[in-house]
Amino acid sequence: MTVPGIDSVDLTTPSASADPFSVFRALREGDPVHWSEAHRAWLITRYDDVSAAFQNKAFSNDRVRPVLERKRQAGAESAATGVLGLMTGWMVVNDPPVHTRLRKLAAGAFKGQRIAAMDEMITRIVDEHLDAFLRGSGPQDLISEVAYPLPATVIATMLGAPPEDRDRFREWSDELALVAFGTGGAARADRHERALRGLREMESYFHTLIGKRRAEPGEDMLSALMAKEGDDRLTDDELVGMCALLLFAGHETTTNSIANSVLALLRHPDQLDRLRRDPALIGPAVEELLRFDGPIKVLNRWVVAETEVRGKTIRPGERVHLVLASANRDPEKFADPDTLDLGRSPNPHVAFGKGIHACIGAQLARMETRIAVARIVERLPGLALAEEPEWKDVLASRSMEKLVVTHS
Amino acid sequence: MRIGVDSEVCEAHGQCSIVDMDLFPLDDDGYSAVGPDREVPEGEEDTAKLGVDACPVRALKVLS
Repeated sequence: MTVPGIDSVDLTTPSASADPFSVFRALREGDPVHWSEAHRAWLITRYDDVSAAFQNKAFSNDRVRPVLERKRQAGAESAATGVLGLMTGWMVVNDPPVHTRLRKLAAGAFKGQRIAAMDEMITRIVDEHLDAFLRGSGPQDLISEVAYPLPATVIATMLGAPPEDRDRFREWSDELALVAFGTGGAARADRHERALRGLREMESYFHTLIGKRRAEPGEDMLSALMAKEGDDRLTDDELVGMCALLLFAGHETTTNSIANSVLALLRHPDQLDRLRRDPALIGPAVEELLRFDGPIKVLNRWVVAETEVRGKTIRPGERVHLVLASANRDPEKFADPDTLDLGRSPNPHVAFGKGIHACIGAQLARMETRIAVARIVERLPGLALAEEPEWKDVLASRSMEKLVVTHS
Repeated sequence: MRIGVDSEVCEAHGQCSIVDMDLFPLDDDGYSAVGPDREVPEGEEDTAKLGVDACPVRALKVLS
């Protein structure tokens, strides 16, 4: 099918990053299962197809191993293959049965966390950042001051890291993202090398932390992860991988959930007023904000068996991009999908994915976003956008460079 | 306390299972395997309520 503009669709251009939703609409309407030359991947944009794809066993999550094997075959045994080796152990890039075991162990550790204590801890961290923000005046970046440091500090605290080490978690998180998503250009090759060195440090840091917790277990998640006895317990290397994954998966996504939520509220003053008048709306409000402009645009899958989607044949070895941000605006599923309605219910968005790989940190991410948005709305009554935000030209995440606001 | 799932309504979002995968098991395709009527073990009522509330399509219900 030929649709003007669709044949050359590239989701990483500045205009597509600024307004991906009109590109998604064109794809949903014109070619909902679209082979993109620019991305060398299938773009799946309708809710029903994305939803079914989560259950389609032809689409595998085992997507780092092929990259690693290619590098190894090319004789490139390096620091990069070391980090990729760590990532191949992550449950998010594995299928059952490897995935099942890791997911169970991680779920048990999440379950062991006391919700009331987490609520209190997150509220305290949010308020500390907002105290500092309120001391500043004039235009300030809400991302670098609040939304960005918050999740790394929460994860470091949950893993039981001493407070003085928490800044290092942010650096490692950035370095993991750099290695996972590639660097884009030789100019950044030295940054890549530095990132790899940083991650070596991270690995040895987590090994040391694991040693300490084995000697002296606490209430933290790391202690819970290692508490399991028996044959299926996590090895030290797996524990290191799990710590890195929790940091990587829980940081940037949560930052963007909070920042995109605040931006959406600033752009819809009626909805912001509604939330101010009715703070109890925060639960459904955050679900709607995740649907409307969630942190992840695209999740990818590796095709391992021939399959057909909407009449198109998709073959082994190809890649599929599940466009979550498009599914969440599909008018077949959501009435008035481009309208932000904080009271929307039911709200079966797929911002956290679906099925066996649905984000295991979803409850934590919800809690962080609810508390952060609620506290920002309550404590910054004069909140206003100070400049038009710029969006990062990246495929996977929906991410602003800065969110510059004033509060008085 | 008893909980149940309306399997006609369940869309396999898996959000209940994130709250507690023992109370809210999934089948191989990711749909709720809670069944129409299941007893919640004593002391786990609050978690069960969280899991029921996490369902985005309200397929899960507290029955009693």
